[in-house]
Amino acid sequence: MSNRTLAGAAVALAALAAVPALPFMSKYYLLLAFDALLFGAIAMSLDLLIGYTGLVSFGHAAFFGLGAYATAVCLERKIVSLWICLAAAVVVVGLYALLVSYFATARRGIYFALLTLIFAEVVYTFFRYTQTFGGSDGIQGVPAAELAPGVALDTPLKNYYLVLVFLALAWLTCRTLVGSHFGRVLVAIRENEDRARFLGYNVTRYKMGVCLVSALLTGVAGALYPGRSGFATPDLMLWTVSGEFIIMVMIGGLGTLVGPVIGGVFFVVLQEKVSSYVDWYFIVIGLVLVLIVLFMPKGLLGFRRVQGFAQWRSGQ
Amino acid sequence: MDYLVAVLLPQLLHGLVFGAALGLLALGLTVIFGLLGVMNFAHGELYMLGAYAGIVVVGVTHSFWVALIVAPLLVGVIGAVTEVATLRPLYRREPLYGLILTFGLALAFREAVRQIFGGDMRRILPPIPGSTPLLGMTYPNYRLFLLAISSVLLLAIWLFFTKTRAGIVVRAAVQDAEMLDGLGVDVPRVFTLTFAGAAALAAVAGLLLAPIFTVYPQMGVEMILLAFIVVILGGMGSITGSVVAAFIIGIAQSLLTLWMNPQRVAIAIFGIMIVVLVVRPRGLFGREGVLE
Repeated sequence: MSNRTLAGAAVALAALAAVPALPFMSKYYLLLAFDALLFGAIAMSLDLLIGYTGLVSFGHAAFFGLGAYATAVCLERKIVSLWICLAAAVVVVGLYALLVSYFATARRGIYFALLTLIFAEVVYTFFRYTQTFGGSDGIQGVPAAELAPGVALDTPLKNYYLVLVFLALAWLTCRTLVGSHFGRVLVAIRENEDRARFLGYNVTRYKMGVCLVSALLTGVAGALYPGRSGFATPDLMLWTVSGEFIIMVMIGGLGTLVGPVIGGVFFVVLQEKVSSYVDWYFIVIGLVLVLIVLFMPKGLLGFRRVQGFAQWRSGQ
Repeated sequence: MDYLVAVLLPQLLHGLVFGAALGLLALGLTVIFGLLGVMNFAHGELYMLGAYAGIVVVGVTHSFWVALIVAPLLVGVIGAVTEVATLRPLYRREPLYGLILTFGLALAFREAVRQIFGGDMRRILPPIPGSTPLLGMTYPNYRLFLLAISSVLLLAIWLFFTKTRAGIVVRAAVQDAEMLDGLGVDVPRVFTLTFAGAAALAAVAGLLLAPIFTVYPQMGVEMILLAFIVVILGGMGSITGSVVAAFIIGIAQSLLTLWMNPQRVAIAIFGIMIVVLVVRPRGLFGREGVLE
């Protein structure tokens, strides 16, 4: 990672940290900012799969929802330590992701997309109808998590900084990953899977690895969600939510990491602001997606990928 | 014996009826997939549009039978316009783009319908009232009609694909579009007309099922996954496969509900699907190696 990248990231982090100091930042805007960064982080972790490896997952909502449920179940049972909640989410999402990726990575392209979709739908159906987890109402009104005994994350401001720290760490993880040898193999798989295999790489293992990383990041993001909303519902894992994640990535730009973060922020803010003026918002977002696929298949920031690839080859 | 007549038989008939309608939906989906390589996420919305177009036409003409002719034509036109405007530019791109594009189309269609008609549930009254005694039980006339007309349609489509020149051209395009192009057939036109036809079939399915189910903007979302499952089980791109699989899934679903609660049935069917995708992704009748 170059110094310039790090410097840019530090500036961005500082700017985001200063956001709550803006004069008009009410509780409402802080919650909106929380959502924007959270879904930005999810879109970024999905970009590892779609943008870098060329695997379109239509089941990321399940990782998100499972993470949210893991936290909500802990909090509901008065286990309020944030770290225990996160650990629970990592274990649950990790096990599920291992299972899904084991089967899904055996197939390519459209079959991968459908397998992830169907697995996610199983999880959705399970939570939707299991009364232990509240059925279709989900788990409502959970207490705030505690960073340490007595330090509750009970204000929008604290939650905002929590998600900001998470976004920064997630970006570091993704960035390190794609800059590493591992990341280059992923791009090789995207460009030509058979050739990567003939070069001696265990392609399936690489694909499972990146699925696991992407799923865990999404799962941890999900685990932070009940802290802001106080609930986890099965609707979080509806397959259309997975579709929205893909839209965020496509808006932002495939294979850019930062692009999907912006895409996620853009999507959340637009949805919130535009939908309060015009309620035909989803017509707009649907058509935007169509136009992007038609005219800018790499996304709004996607042109940077080509540039990034050239830099890669020259060894930077 | 009582159990057989009172429980098993009606459930089996329900399954057949549902399977036949599902077949109409899945047939279009599989042909589109075979031709364009696109898994059409908007197919559920075409199905939904069929039901709403039906409501409009019934509202104007007070006749279900007129609606059954006019609504599919309307949706067919929408399908043709959509294909030319959005899918045609994607012919040579990766199939995954088609998946994402049609997801966007589905969003737009769904929201447009919600804006025009509102989000609440609507009903179409069955055009044929009453029920008939049948094999020791009584069965609603409309469902028998549904089974009959769906079967006739499926048979007609089968004849179309095997006996007519147009049908053979479509099958040739599924097999090898480039070769067909080389032989002087206007392949993009074949694609557009086929897409329109598939859209019209989805609309027929939507309208036929409307008197049994309710009509609401999300109805396509509920159906499309089942249609995907049928297409995968039958083998992507296989016409016979999708019809056979539609009956299998329809009957399996309605028989399983006798012994399990609905969510277990859903999970069981998803489970079957995962096994098929992993072990035999080409399904029952699919060609080996299609996009595997």
